[in-house]
Amino acid sequence: MAWLAFSIIALVILNSGLNVVKSTDLVHTVFWLALTLLGTAALFVHLDAEFLAAVQVLLYTGGVVTLMLFGVMLTRRIDGVRILHESGDKGRALACSLAVFGAIATAIYRSKQTAHAVAMDLPDTEILGQYFLQEMVLPFELLSLLLLAAMVGAIALARKKDA
Amino acid sequence: MTEIFATPPGLTAYLLLGAMLFSIGLYGVLTRKNTLAILVAIELMANAVNINLVAFSRFSGSIQGQSFALFSIALTVAEVVIGLAIVVLMYRSHKSIEADAPTALRG
Amino acid sequence: MLTAVLFPIMLPLACFFLLALCWPLRHNGKLAGAVSSAVAIVSCLSAVRLLNMVVTGAVDAQEGYRHTVPWLVANGETIAEVGVHLDGISATMLVVITLVAACVQVYSLGYLADEPPEHLGRYFTWHSLFIFAMGGLVIAPNLLQAFMCWELVGLCSYLLIGYYWTKPEAGHAAVKAFWVTKFADMGLLAGLCLLYATTGGFEWTSTLATSTATTIAALIFMGVMGKSAQVPLHVWLPNAMEGPTPVSALLHAATMVAAGVFLVVRAFPIFLQAPDILLAMTWIGAITAFVAACTAVVQDDIKKVLAYSTCSQLGFMVAALGTGSILGGYFHLTTHAFFKALLFLGAGAAIHAVHSNSIHDMGGLLKKTPISAVMFIIGAAALAGIPGLSGFFSKDIILEEMLHGGHMVPLGLLLVSAALTAFYMTRVVVIAFFGKPSEAVEHAHGAPIVMGAPMAALTLLAVAGGYMSGQLGDLWGGPIAFHLSPVGITATGLGLSAVVYGVLLYGKGINGPSSAGLRDFILSGPVDRFWTATWRRGLLPTAKSIAWTDRYVVDGAVNWFGWAAIKGSEALRRVQTGKAQDYAVAVIVGVLFFVLYGAVGG
Repeated sequence: MAWLAFSIIALVILNSGLNVVKSTDLVHTVFWLALTLLGTAALFVHLDAEFLAAVQVLLYTGGVVTLMLFGVMLTRRIDGVRILHESGDKGRALACSLAVFGAIATAIYRSKQTAHAVAMDLPDTEILGQYFLQEMVLPFELLSLLLLAAMVGAIALARKKDA
Repeated sequence: MTEIFATPPGLTAYLLLGAMLFSIGLYGVLTRKNTLAILVAIELMANAVNINLVAFSRFSGSIQGQSFALFSIALTVAEVVIGLAIVVLMYRSHKSIEADAPTALRG
Repeated sequence: MLTAVLFPIMLPLACFFLLALCWPLRHNGKLAGAVSSAVAIVSCLSAVRLLNMVVTGAVDAQEGYRHTVPWLVANGETIAEVGVHLDGISATMLVVITLVAACVQVYSLGYLADEPPEHLGRYFTWHSLFIFAMGGLVIAPNLLQAFMCWELVGLCSYLLIGYYWTKPEAGHAAVKAFWVTKFADMGLLAGLCLLYATTGGFEWTSTLATSTATTIAALIFMGVMGKSAQVPLHVWLPNAMEGPTPVSALLHAATMVAAGVFLVVRAFPIFLQAPDILLAMTWIGAITAFVAACTAVVQDDIKKVLAYSTCSQLGFMVAALGTGSILGGYFHLTTHAFFKALLFLGAGAAIHAVHSNSIHDMGGLLKKTPISAVMFIIGAAALAGIPGLSGFFSKDIILEEMLHGGHMVPLGLLLVSAALTAFYMTRVVVIAFFGKPSEAVEHAHGAPIVMGAPMAALTLLAVAGGYMSGQLGDLWGGPIAFHLSPVGITATGLGLSAVVYGVLLYGKGINGPSSAGLRDFILSGPVDRFWTATWRRGLLPTAKSIAWTDRYVVDGAVNWFGWAAIKGSEALRRVQTGKAQDYAVAVIVGVLFFVLYGAVGG
């Protein structure tokens, strides 16, 4: 039963991923990305990480994809024509990605696999909350600073310079 | 063969899924010509990392994996923001968002 | 004692430096000449004093006085020394050198009186240097110092032959002399190196294995052939007559060309261990004597006649040395120095009178310039071997030694050469001093006393020198016993008949056999043509191919590295494409490499 769920989710994720890199239309690419991210969210639920799934949907599928769509739409209008994406040097890229996959898979199979699924006593939201506000307080605060810096930086970079 | 499916999927399965997604994203990064498409592929790779982290968290009983994944998501969002700003700058100076457009580093 | 030995050569050296550095003195030509001549005379007197020491026994004639200081020191070992070695042989030669040099320098004051003063100053500067160099050669304690002075003497010869530097022929003659002697000196240097390699020193008293001694002696003799104008390396000597006549008298008659003979005498212990070379020397000397005498017969330039005559007489000396005894050759060297210098100075007087070198521009000079003419005739008689004069004695001793050594064919050649010597000297004397005068002779005037006095001194020695054989023999380590012998009588007879024939041919005008073909052949300079062809067809193409190899192969190899670096970097720079995705691939590859390394090696 668990395998069935996992298989479906995995297939969705992988298929969407492949279409992301294969798609010629940029809008299609972004939508396939959205589907991949949703699939990942489902996987998180399957892995008993509900809070994370919610965050994934909100931030990734909601925020990031929206940003991407904005970018795509703006640049489409600027160029005026449908952007065609030719891919270059596929052989080299294929070799690299297969090599990387091989390395990781080898590493996976070489390590001792004695882990069993361990259930946590509390829902993950609660544990995460306690963890963040106790052990991980400092990184948490720094993360907010980082987000501020990213925002300011992006605005500074992209604003129109008054010449 | 069917004994595999007797027990629920082990850690290996999730890790392999993450690895596959990572490789697919890598292929996209190296292949695509449009900078926005490259950013999308980078998203895939980050996503694969998150899958790995959550899987490890599930199979070790520690919340650290999930917390790390949360941080990763936040950071990836920040990175996308900056990346889009760079795309804007790139368009302004090269009048194009092809990945081949900047040639200043050519030797 | 050391200062006494060094004085005759260091004084001229000091004079050289004085004249070289103090240019106001040098630019006043006559004053420079007076200083230099005075120095030469003083040097001669001190050399006579040294000879006296040897004669009286204060210095042993065989052992000699020797003083050396280490010069080249390496690893605590002395490689080479310099110093002095005065014995009977070197004392005699020193007197000859300084005496003839003094005579020549005084003579030059008159002969070159019309020269521009600065040039005259330069002339005397080189003369002083020459006395130092030649003196240094004869009192050298080892062959290395002798070689250094040998080269210095060659330099002086070059400088003095090229004295008239505005004349292209003089320049060419100077370079030719330098080239030919330098070529021969390669052999000498190789011989010295071999000597050092086998014995660790440059002494001539080394004991060597026969084959080594033969090689070393052969190489040394190659240098001697150049310096002492043996065939085929004699080609520079006729051209050297481009220099002023006093220079020809000093360098190319009496002293410098005799340096080769002197070197053989000095290194005779080595030569005695190489009998094959001695045999070769008798032949080469005899052939030289004959070929040069033949060439002298057809010359019209009085100096050229004397030049070939010198060459011929040097052949006599070398052949005499080849018999294994130094006495005949060295005695002839001494007498020849005096009468040949006298002949050159007398020729100079004649040239000075008619302003031409050709004997056909002279004629009847006996009436116009009687004193110098008589002295010239006495010198000619000495050369021809007229009995009673010095040449007669020395030549006779040489012929005796040849007969004693059993070298019949060389002896025959020498006899014919002696006859030819008498013949060509008679020709010159008859044409230049007797007979119908040419127009130039009408305005001829006699030589001044400053030219006449040195000639007189030399005439005395040309006459008296023959009677000193006894004392000289004691100095040189062997009895020079002169006695009248069949071969001597034959030679004298041949000589006198040659004189008579010459007088009849050129004086009375009887017709002799026609020799135009032979004359043209000799005048075309066959040996010169041989060397020119060797140069053009042999040495020059070799040098050009080596130069080509250097430019295109050696330099090409070096340049190839530069080209390869440029091409390599041009290829390598294409790695930097400027595209971010290429760099990403590079990063991936790097990471994979490290993963692999960690997995496999670690």
